[in-house]
Amino acid sequence: MNETQDVEPAEWIAALTAARDARHCDFFDFLTAVDELEDGIRIVAHVYSTSTRQHLLIRTLLPPDALVLPTATTVYKGANWHERETCEMFGVQFDGHPNLIPLLLPDGFEGTPLRKDFVLASRVAKQWPGEVDPGQSLTELKKPKRRRNLPPGVPEDWTRP
Amino acid sequence: MKGLLKGLVVTLRTMTRRSVTRQYPETRPDLPPRSRGVIGLLAENCTSCMLCARECPDWCIYIESHKETLPAVVEGGRERSRNVLDRFAIDFSLCMYCGICIEACPFDALFWSPEFEYAEHSIGALTHEMDLLGEWMKTVPPPPAIEPGEPT
Repeated sequence: MNETQDVEPAEWIAALTAARDARHCDFFDFLTAVDELEDGIRIVAHVYSTSTRQHLLIRTLLPPDALVLPTATTVYKGANWHERETCEMFGVQFDGHPNLIPLLLPDGFEGTPLRKDFVLASRVAKQWPGEVDPGQSLTELKKPKRRRNLPPGVPEDWTRP
Repeated sequence: MKGLLKGLVVTLRTMTRRSVTRQYPETRPDLPPRSRGVIGLLAENCTSCMLCARECPDWCIYIESHKETLPAVVEGGRERSRNVLDRFAIDFSLCMYCGICIEACPFDALFWSPEFEYAEHSIGALTHEMDLLGEWMKTVPPPPAIEPGEPT
């Protein structure tokens, strides 16, 4: 029922066209990206066939120095907004896209918020409430400590010394 | 043609039905069991272990406590120290109602309450301190009975 297909960036449009025409995947579900850090950015597209009820996940890995892909809007028109969102959130360019302007981010926003190196201001500006130890008050945190409790999942270099 | 008729059938069927309007707030909503309205705190069960505050993905639980030493119970015994809760607050403007704090609590101090009418005019008022969180305990429904055949 579910199948994942990994293709080279050069074969991206051919793979999508084959999915649409040869495999009857007439429903375009979504297109998004995954930050794979030093390996680059992986673009993922999910398509579905309403006749054969087959799901197909098509993926391609873009190297970090060439974050460009031809637009999928030539194959699936619905990819338009998905590519705009992927462009603003991950900084991937889609060549030939009719209107590649930000979709969700406010005017003048800088940076690519869904990249893993994007620092979340709310996690830096706010003190982690879990840093307090049992039997401690928030004011006691101001004193220098031997060991500091760090919030899980937040990179250590985000928190100020 | 087939699709058109199908659509018309739906329209006709809906046309003959009475519309359902819930007369809230005149009549109270019929909430399903285990509704997540607000979180209640049973302060006497809390040991200020910080587990809920550390598990909270939204960083919206604030706990402050101090250590208190209890004298030895028997002569020559050891002094015991325990944590006394000074502040327990949940910021419901940040809370996403995931219930991880309730799951994480090893001492059954946090509970779901179906109470939901606590909208405020200022965002700061959504930070519920210990006294208010304790008040919510009155609205916590009794735990559901164990179904027959369930392991106890």
